[in-house]
Amino acid sequence: MDSKKKVLLIDDDKDFLMATKLILEKGGYEVFLAEDGKSGIDMAKSVSPDIAIIDMMMETWSEGFNVVSRLRTSETGKQIPLIMLSAVDLQGPYQSFEPPEDLPTVDLVLHKPIKADELLNHLGRLLR
Amino acid sequence: MEDRGSSPALILIIDDEESILDGCRQALEKSGYQVVSTSDGHEGIGLARAKKPDLAFIDLKMPGCSGMDVIELLSRELPGMVLIVITGYASIVSAVEAMKKGAYDYLPKPFTPDQIRAVTKRGLEHRSLKLEADRLREEKERMERSFITFVSHEMRSPLVTIMQYFETLKVIAEKELTEASRDIIDRCEKRLQALHDLVDHWLDLSRIEDGSFSEARVPLEVTGIVNQSIEELTPLCQRREITIESKGRADTPKILGDQESLLRVFTNIIGNATKYTPPGGRISVGIDHDDFYVYVKIADTGSGIPADKLPFIFEPFFRVKGKEERQKGSGLGLTFVKKIMDAHTGAVEVTSKVGEGTTFLLKFPRLYEL
Repeated sequence: MDSKKKVLLIDDDKDFLMATKLILEKGGYEVFLAEDGKSGIDMAKSVSPDIAIIDMMMETWSEGFNVVSRLRTSETGKQIPLIMLSAVDLQGPYQSFEPPEDLPTVDLVLHKPIKADELLNHLGRLLR
Repeated sequence: MEDRGSSPALILIIDDEESILDGCRQALEKSGYQVVSTSDGHEGIGLARAKKPDLAFIDLKMPGCSGMDVIELLSRELPGMVLIVITGYASIVSAVEAMKKGAYDYLPKPFTPDQIRAVTKRGLEHRSLKLEADRLREEKERMERSFITFVSHEMRSPLVTIMQYFETLKVIAEKELTEASRDIIDRCEKRLQALHDLVDHWLDLSRIEDGSFSEARVPLEVTGIVNQSIEELTPLCQRREITIESKGRADTPKILGDQESLLRVFTNIIGNATKYTPPGGRISVGIDHDDFYVYVKIADTGSGIPADKLPFIFEPFFRVKGKEERQKGSGLGLTFVKKIMDAHTGAVEVTSKVGEGTTFLLKFPRLYEL
């Protein structure tokens, strides 16, 4: 029996996908990649991941949020932990971007670039 | 401001003398202009609002309505319209007053058809220059805005991805890396981090400039933020064998501010002090106030800034070249400090003596709570 946990990674930057995939594989995970929101949602259905990592800002500001909402309301998505990636610091004082009112809940927000040990520690904790 | 393109300019005439209205209309229509006119000031304002003429002649002396008031209102409300005063009193005083209120020119009565045509031509030329200037300004602002987007997306994304690749490289090549190659990766990462910080600082500055900042201010205790900043920098000071001390007052009044950005202001200045202060030196932070201001004073016993360099330290990318070239920052740190202080309607003053040290004095208007 294959006991590897499955991680779904959704980001429109191919290089970022590749770099992060290698870290995740080193950490002993089976990794599935999607380059846009739609294929990410389709893949969530077909592979039933144990956790999903979604970039907040893909084609548009809101795509990441849309994907999270869609996942949260789907059968597979509602039980698994979701991590959102951000390249900007939303805690910052001058962030003019207003997150949507009905911001779907994620389990964790990580800022890019991600430290390998940090990412693996968080995954270990969330999947325990 | 509207541009009528190739269609003839629209001229509005407001004058209570019918003969003047007729004379003006004929002279201007003969030159191919469109003309609307009225003998009533209030109706004139209505016409101007509805038709948005390119240029208007306004009589100063009308019964029941002051031409001066019409000019003042229209110049404020329709800044794209050129206003010209018609005055029977040809007195310089009233013309000057009208021009202070926004009129571009004046035409003394009586005048010939050629005179009104000449004044009209000049007024319209002025308008098209103004239109062009506005267009250029808008274009410049648009380019600046798109540059911000460019920097944030086109520069930061690849940078972040490269940093992520280095992180990955360390993980997957862990055992195979020699000490020398690990050192190279470390050096690359440091340079990338500096570039990343530069992009971030630049974006911070742009966001202050676009004005979204000033609404974020709330009543704050400055002492807590200063202490937090000192706490963050204490380990660094210990490593560099620099003493850091702070002195405050229990009755320090609150100020209006943004916590996060003030923390960065203090961390920036104290961080600078740690860079330029040699081992064994001292950084003192003092908080004080008077009836008007809350003061935060940050003094170091560092290398100091030469007097001729002092006026420029808040300029972007200006650096005081020291003997040691390792003092490298984004070059935007103090620019950020200055902008944040401006946004707090505060001030930052600096005094320095080479070889003795530098003192930054930050002034915040104190908050009187009602």
